[in-house]
Amino acid sequence: MSVERLTPGSGLQPFPPQEKWDDWREYDPKQWPRRVEKRYMLVPTICFNCEAACGMLAWIDKDTMRIRKFDGNPLHPASRGHNCAKGPATINQIHDPERILHPLRRAGPRGEGKWQRVSWEQVLDEIGGRIRKAFLEGRKNEVMYHVGRPGHERSMDRVLRAWGIDGHNSHTNVCSASARLGYALWSGYDRPSPDHARARFILLLSAHLESGHYFNPHAQRIIEGKLAGAKLAVMDPRLSNTASMADHWLPTYPGSEAAVLLAMACVILDEGLADLGFVQKWTNWREYMADNQPGEEPKFGGFMASLRERYREFTPAYAEAESGVAREKIVTVARLIGAARGAFASHVWRGSASGNLGGWQVARAVQLLTVLTGSFATPGGTSPSAWNKYKPTFWEEPPPHKEWNELLFPREWPLSHYEMSFLLPHFLKEGRGKLDVYFTRVYNPLWTNPDGMSWMEMLRDESRLGLHAALTPTWNETAIFADYVLPMGMAGERHDIQSQETHSGKWLSFRQPVLRVARERMGEQFQYGYEANPGEVWEEDEFWIELSWRIDPDGSLGIRKWFESPYHPGEKLGVREYYRWIFENAVPGLPAAAAAQGLSAYDYMSRSGAFLIEAEGRKLDDDTEFPTPSKKLEIWSRTMRDWGWPEQALPGYVKSHVHRGMLDKHKGEMVLVPTFRLPTLVHTRSGNAKYLNEISHRNPLWIHSSDAERLGIESGELVRVTTEIGYSVNHAWVTESIAPGVVACSHHMGRWRLHEGQGGRWSTAKVVIEKRGESGVFVRQIEGVGPFDSPDPDSRRIWWSDGGVHQNLTFPVHPDPVSGMHCWHQRVVVSRAEAADRYADVFVDTARSMEVYREWLAKARPGPGPGGLRRPLWLERPLRPAEEMFRK
Amino acid sequence: MNYAFLIDNRRCIGCHACSVACKAEHEVPLGVARTWVKYVEKGEFPETRRSFTVTRCNHCEDAPCIEICPTTALFKRRDGIVDFDPRRCIGCKACMQGCPYDALYIDPQTETAAKCNFCAHRVEVGLEPPCVTVCPTQAIVAGDLDDKGSRIVQMTSRIPLQVRKPEKGTKPKVFYIDADTASLVPSAAPPASDYMWAQAPQAATLPAMPLTEDAGAPRRTYSVKEQHRNSWGWKVSAYLWTKSLAAGVFLVPALLSLHDPQRYLLRPGVSFLALFFLAVTGVLLVWDLRQPQRFLWTLTRPQWRSWLVRGAYVITAYGLLLTLHVALGLLARTPPRPLLIATMLAAAGTALYTAFLFGQSKGRDLWQSPLLAPHLIVQAVTAGAALVAPSWLRWLLPINGLLIAAEVWGRHATEDARRAAQLIELDIRFSTGVLAIGHLLPLALLWLTPSFEATAGSLALTGLLLWEHLYVQAPQRIPNA
Repeated sequence: MSVERLTPGSGLQPFPPQEKWDDWREYDPKQWPRRVEKRYMLVPTICFNCEAACGMLAWIDKDTMRIRKFDGNPLHPASRGHNCAKGPATINQIHDPERILHPLRRAGPRGEGKWQRVSWEQVLDEIGGRIRKAFLEGRKNEVMYHVGRPGHERSMDRVLRAWGIDGHNSHTNVCSASARLGYALWSGYDRPSPDHARARFILLLSAHLESGHYFNPHAQRIIEGKLAGAKLAVMDPRLSNTASMADHWLPTYPGSEAAVLLAMACVILDEGLADLGFVQKWTNWREYMADNQPGEEPKFGGFMASLRERYREFTPAYAEAESGVAREKIVTVARLIGAARGAFASHVWRGSASGNLGGWQVARAVQLLTVLTGSFATPGGTSPSAWNKYKPTFWEEPPPHKEWNELLFPREWPLSHYEMSFLLPHFLKEGRGKLDVYFTRVYNPLWTNPDGMSWMEMLRDESRLGLHAALTPTWNETAIFADYVLPMGMAGERHDIQSQETHSGKWLSFRQPVLRVARERMGEQFQYGYEANPGEVWEEDEFWIELSWRIDPDGSLGIRKWFESPYHPGEKLGVREYYRWIFENAVPGLPAAAAAQGLSAYDYMSRSGAFLIEAEGRKLDDDTEFPTPSKKLEIWSRTMRDWGWPEQALPGYVKSHVHRGMLDKHKGEMVLVPTFRLPTLVHTRSGNAKYLNEISHRNPLWIHSSDAERLGIESGELVRVTTEIGYSVNHAWVTESIAPGVVACSHHMGRWRLHEGQGGRWSTAKVVIEKRGESGVFVRQIEGVGPFDSPDPDSRRIWWSDGGVHQNLTFPVHPDPVSGMHCWHQRVVVSRAEAADRYADVFVDTARSMEVYREWLAKARPGPGPGGLRRPLWLERPLRPAEEMFRK
Repeated sequence: MNYAFLIDNRRCIGCHACSVACKAEHEVPLGVARTWVKYVEKGEFPETRRSFTVTRCNHCEDAPCIEICPTTALFKRRDGIVDFDPRRCIGCKACMQGCPYDALYIDPQTETAAKCNFCAHRVEVGLEPPCVTVCPTQAIVAGDLDDKGSRIVQMTSRIPLQVRKPEKGTKPKVFYIDADTASLVPSAAPPASDYMWAQAPQAATLPAMPLTEDAGAPRRTYSVKEQHRNSWGWKVSAYLWTKSLAAGVFLVPALLSLHDPQRYLLRPGVSFLALFFLAVTGVLLVWDLRQPQRFLWTLTRPQWRSWLVRGAYVITAYGLLLTLHVALGLLARTPPRPLLIATMLAAAGTALYTAFLFGQSKGRDLWQSPLLAPHLIVQAVTAGAALVAPSWLRWLLPINGLLIAAEVWGRHATEDARRAAQLIELDIRFSTGVLAIGHLLPLALLWLTPSFEATAGSLALTGLLLWEHLYVQAPQRIPNA
């Protein structure tokens, strides 16, 4: 038996041609060199690990109808057939022997680990009935949906709008909200979309060659740009893999980045490298002048002089003193940015923006360089996200809801860019409200968020939290304390559409339950996704439709109608119809492209997995207006002035809470960078991917050799890292790859479980949690990661025992007074571990964490703002309510 | 056709996608790897840099693993790919000694050798290996060196290239652009006791450079398990020793009987004793196989260039001849002189062939020593004498000691050979066991009090066994990747 070669000769193709995807034949690698033919169906889907939405092809063995592997989808415009390590590792997540296969309901006290299997029918009836009761009793704000990374476009907004509640909570304020606010203040668009491939100079304040939005698509294009001659500079106190690939590594002291960027802006201005024509045409400099020199005719020259005067302190020498980076290096990079002649691509996402008080000013300062060099939305420059991102519309849009949930947007933070999500336990503790039904959706706040022990208290408190349903593919620390654990599908087990601003252009991609698709193509029929997925794993789209019908069975609440078919009025909406309508009606060019192949729009997407809507991103033209109050790029923000921050109306430099001047020298305080990520993991989503955890499973404390010597610490020794509210015990990693005075510890690791079988043993250690005194909580590992019995023989081959240290527990909340973002960096004291300390010990005082919360609460400048507004009308808000709600 | 890989370090971002795609394609078990990305850091802050090196089978033009493989389980395809057939593998791990690049491992599922096979199952239908397609930055190129139009030929003809360990003469076909020398040379940044986000799968063997002395020296910050390390364990050391005994207990009386047939008749007991040691040798050899039930394949499916095969035949011949001696002895017949000479040659061959087998072990620099062949003969005679003519040890032990000294302190052809010798030298068992107990003490006993001959003999045998063990182990601790 032999399989025909794709092409004659010795040439190799990356992928089987699309026309053969339904029945691709190749040899079985397991039986090689015996030539045993295997038949596969290749079904496109998109990755569900990070937010980049890279394309994948699921290889389904047609004899066993089992997914054999995932590789890239060559038709995907962003990932172009390639993936990072997390793409192929999806197969581990699908076949994880410890994944949750059936809906579970708590059968004992919360957190005790006793569960009983229930049917989806029971789940829908019980939860739907409870939500219905809350709605009927006018307790709409007691229902909340809290999402990790969504992985879908607008679909959940539609559900919540249909329900008419202000119940959307997200993770964004522990992630990217500060950078987003900085970008939004400039243009009204809250994310950058750099065109790395055509840039002449690339500046990254995040580690986009290994993580972040959007690692794989960006890494492809950054390297493409570099090979075409672009130079790369990276600001990071730690030598990330990205920094190591850079032509210029600027190991800035954490929080000093804006000072360096403003110094660069001054060099560009002073050396005549700025594109003044661009600044004059596109920025709101007139507004600035009107405010600064009222009554005078605004002159652009006067503006530039005034601006330069405002930034006079930002000399290279000052920047060096703040950042520790040699002034020559700063000047060199500034000149190169200036010389990029409008092809300057840049990005800050988390990094310094998420680490520091005032991190949103870092994004504004980066964007100042974009504007000064005229690199805004140019080829090789940086565009606003929305210009390169597709968003769907629906046949009927539910109207904006008429609620305002103070647990999400409290008046203390009127400019908070996203929900004050990580303060939920603190708000509930203060008695600001309570929750009747709380969904965590692929989200693990107890582990991921700061002050996790306050989350644990909240999740256990039945008087404040009525019902908690964890929608998750796998066990996580939060789900341990849930009332319902509801298994939702991973990549290849669910429907979603996603589009991201990965580069200049616009695209849409389609995630599908690949086994269902394959079996339907072979003639089977399914009513629900869980009939085709492993066990009873379901998907959210169908779950929300069914749940909405249970909440409003007769349509009297006005909810059901939004979940009826656009094709068969009055009938229940099917998930296929939902996407069919979008593909047929709301994606420019898709129906025509499909017709050209003789396909329906839906089948085109199902078979290709992605569609390129625009090959080139939008550019500025004379009619361009921005969604800002001035309709210009706002170099000066009236909003900031009017809402209590006049000193921050221009892009500026806020001294961070970990600024050198804030550290207690006598205590030997250092700054901890706790946010850095690895190319191989993604938060707690990848814990059950064995191939990934084999490569990375510990997060030692990076410390510079000079600091280690001062403290008498050697690599591998135990150190205690003491924060404001507790401490953790970790191993030291003595290195030349971090700035002196700074320590760093990677995110992702330190996963734990309380009960066997509830927490993937590929990555979790077993711990005990004990009360210590009134408000102390102590966590100790009693068993590291280790081999276990399962149908997968690899589980007996786990050779590593270290699962890392859960450092986030020891961080108090640091809500930025403007963006509301948690400021991740920590002032810490690093010392040799004490005699009784053991590896991965954690101690936290939750009373102390409440105190730190109040200290930061006091920094906020509460609304209302001008006109009695809760929030500026122009500033976007997730799940935006009706306008009148801004005024109440 | 001649397929090869090109790794472009201007593009590689060290993301491990290739490693994971490979694991998924072949369901490579945890603990072993066909391809991986080594991290090496150099320099002092803020001039630190990290380099990434994708590491895998080199699909050598002159592949030592193929040459040493006894059963053609490893073979070269017509398209230049070095492939393997687990169904033919007996699990002898000789390939892991032969490969200077640590490309091979024993698959814990199949208990047979495995490595990167260029995804021949995909290449054959015209597809690239998944490590190539997955790579976000297209840092890995796979192609045919004979196809002038291929991307790999266009790239390799324009840009200067590097390969790993060109001095081994294997002609590797994984080419690197812009590779960092400290990453290509395994000992330049040896395996450490911890990695930046992984535990080291094994204890470090070579002392790491202390930061205080040269903070900027290259250091390995990520790597996988050294698969070749200790692949030949105590059974192989013991086999060398029992084989020496098997050869020596026959050779010594046989030499004497050649010299003076009247005084030293070869008694059947001697042949039986040799046969016994040879049998133990055989048991050890089979026991060390991961597929012991396939041991006969060395004889029935031979790959003639392998000294494992040739050795198996020599041992078999020696065993048959010894059996003949035993049979003749039982019949009280004197073995004819030609049989005696043939058996002596077989005994010498049994002692000697391992030198050639070790010579085929291109991954073991220390074993490439020209002294090994004579030394094996001396060891066999010494071992035999220790049992049947301890008084000979007065002369044999100094000779053996000199050879050991030459192996340890003599000039070494390569840096890795010198490091391996150093590992022996630093081992406490060398000075106390091999030198003091195995040589000096028996010599002292023999020269001072002839009545302790038997004790001296057993001490010498202990020293010989320890030496075999150190000699087998030390070069396996030198990193090969």
